Amino acid sequence: MRRLVGTVLRKELRDHVRDRRSMLTSMLWPVVGPLIFLVMFNLLASWYRQDRPLELPVVGREHAPSLMAFLERHGATLKEVPEDYEERIRAGSLDAVLIVPEDYGKDFSTGRTADVRMVVDSSRQSARHTVTRLKRLLDAYSQTVGYQRLAARGVAPDLAVALRVDEEDLSTPERTAAGFLNMVPLFLVLAAFAGGMQLASDTMAGERERGSLEPLLLNPTPRGAVVAGKWLATVAMAAGAVLVTLVAYLLVVKRVPLEDLGVKARFDAPAALNMALAVLPLTLAASAVQMWVSTYARSFKEAQTYLSLLMVVPMLPGMVLALSPVQTKTWMFAVPVLGQELLAGEVMRGEALGPVPFLIAAASSVVVAWVSLRITTGLLSQERIVFGRA
Amino acid sequence: MIRATNLHKRFGKVTAVEDVSFTAEDGRITGLLGPNGAGKTTTMRMLYTLVRPDGGTATVDGVDVVKRPQDARRALGVLPDARGLYPRLTAREHARYYGELHGLSGAALDQRVDELVDLLDMKEIADRRAEGFSQGERVKVALARALVHGPRNVLLDEPTNGLDVMSTRAVRTLLRRLKDAGCCVVFSSHVMQEVAALCERIVVVAHGRVVADGTPDALRATTGKDSLEEAFVATIGSEQGLMQ
Repeated sequence: MRRLVGTVLRKELRDHVRDRRSMLTSMLWPVVGPLIFLVMFNLLASWYRQDRPLELPVVGREHAPSLMAFLERHGATLKEVPEDYEERIRAGSLDAVLIVPEDYGKDFSTGRTADVRMVVDSSRQSARHTVTRLKRLLDAYSQTVGYQRLAARGVAPDLAVALRVDEEDLSTPERTAAGFLNMVPLFLVLAAFAGGMQLASDTMAGERERGSLEPLLLNPTPRGAVVAGKWLATVAMAAGAVLVTLVAYLLVVKRVPLEDLGVKARFDAPAALNMALAVLPLTLAASAVQMWVSTYARSFKEAQTYLSLLMVVPMLPGMVLALSPVQTKTWMFAVPVLGQELLAGEVMRGEALGPVPFLIAAASSVVVAWVSLRITTGLLSQERIVFGRA
Repeated sequence: MIRATNLHKRFGKVTAVEDVSFTAEDGRITGLLGPNGAGKTTTMRMLYTLVRPDGGTATVDGVDVVKRPQDARRALGVLPDARGLYPRLTAREHARYYGELHGLSGAALDQRVDELVDLLDMKEIADRRAEGFSQGERVKVALARALVHGPRNVLLDEPTNGLDVMSTRAVRTLLRRLKDAGCCVVFSSHVMQEVAALCERIVVVAHGRVVADGTPDALRATTGKDSLEEAFVATIGSEQGLMQ
């Protein structure tokens, strides 16, 4: 029996590896997540990085020497203004321009409210941070000078401040970054499905479509051995995809400035190993269910359609978890897909879990796999499956 | 030796095989002749264990196909109606795969595959991938994998269907060789000339029943017709199946 399973497994893998295009699809999928991760994190970091000098083109610098000195003291680099600054701001290559009008000096020295103009494009996400910094600096200058004026006239500056607003921005870079990190478990689980999809379609529906299932079943090989061999080949592809995803994340994380964003995530080799332990058992269940579904399809294309729909299953809990993390309860580990996504998430946050949740999650996947394989094996004795061709 | 006894099979309300009994001896080629839809393929499928009869039974070398399908399959080599190949495997790999599924391995398997490559005259295609094989080449590969375990009983469903003259001749030669080696060969066909050219024994099936069974001469004698074609028409009661 074991030798026959090995024979089927070897044939399926050899057959599949020769199919360059579907191999490429199976292995490109897992790299997508890490790539998005790389790009998003570097973008985020570049938006929020605090130590970057505030580059500020100013028109009419000579009208406000004390304001200019204040800005420079607080980390702004003053620059010449290009001719086409409005265009540049719209295009996003320039974040903001400060304009000091000619009569600034006159108003300022006579104690009237002096006007300055800030030119921005508020629809630009990437400029938001610079604009906020500039606004704060201007407010701070305005306040400082105002207080000095009141103090000079013997008035307590606090009188002019009826309200002090302490703003607490929930959209901190840490939060945003953590949101992206929550996508890691989702992409790992997706890889467990995407990796074996091509092979699962070909090995059951493809076999029916080509008319090679009937001759195959004419061999004195138990149907269970045929199904097991095909299943193990699918599992091998799915596990490969999960491992590729993990390695890609490991490589990417080294190139991502997680600390700059203040993100505390554990993503080193031991954490990756734990994530592998969490997600790999899912490949057993995912591949078995994919084979079962694929057996109903009369053609490769039909199977692909069904299996793409099946991909929604890992997407749903993953999306929900990425947007709003839930309070983890033990029973959740027993739900395939949800369990793996929670486990991988906990591992990434550096929680010590102990072996029990891993075992629960693995056991539930084994049960799902076993049931699906039994049903698939049963289907191979049905005449409508064996002889029903596209 | 293959023996079918009162085989009966229904699909829903349609009766595919009403009552088919015959015996195919070793060292003989037995032809299952009948028009399209007569129940030949269903009968064959019951013989090669993939369709379970609703009534009756069949034995292959004394092994009951319903009770011990695994053992029956071991004793059978089958060219079924479906001859799908794996486009990315070579001809030789097809034969090897089926050989391994029959429990063969190592030098014995290599030798057997080489024999088949010689026997079926497929040296040129042996190490080419099946993608783009001609109809004749595909049948050769399907035959090689069906015969890789050296079965004593060979079932072929319309083996020459869609083949050109040269491939048809190659298949006929192969069947005669199997017969000379003492195998029990059963093949089905709706083409009378095909059956007449090869068979010592003809079982004519129409509407799911055996309507005649005997040597070509006996068939001519019982119907009182001189030509086999006339005899065929007389036995099935219509000209259906003669139109090619």
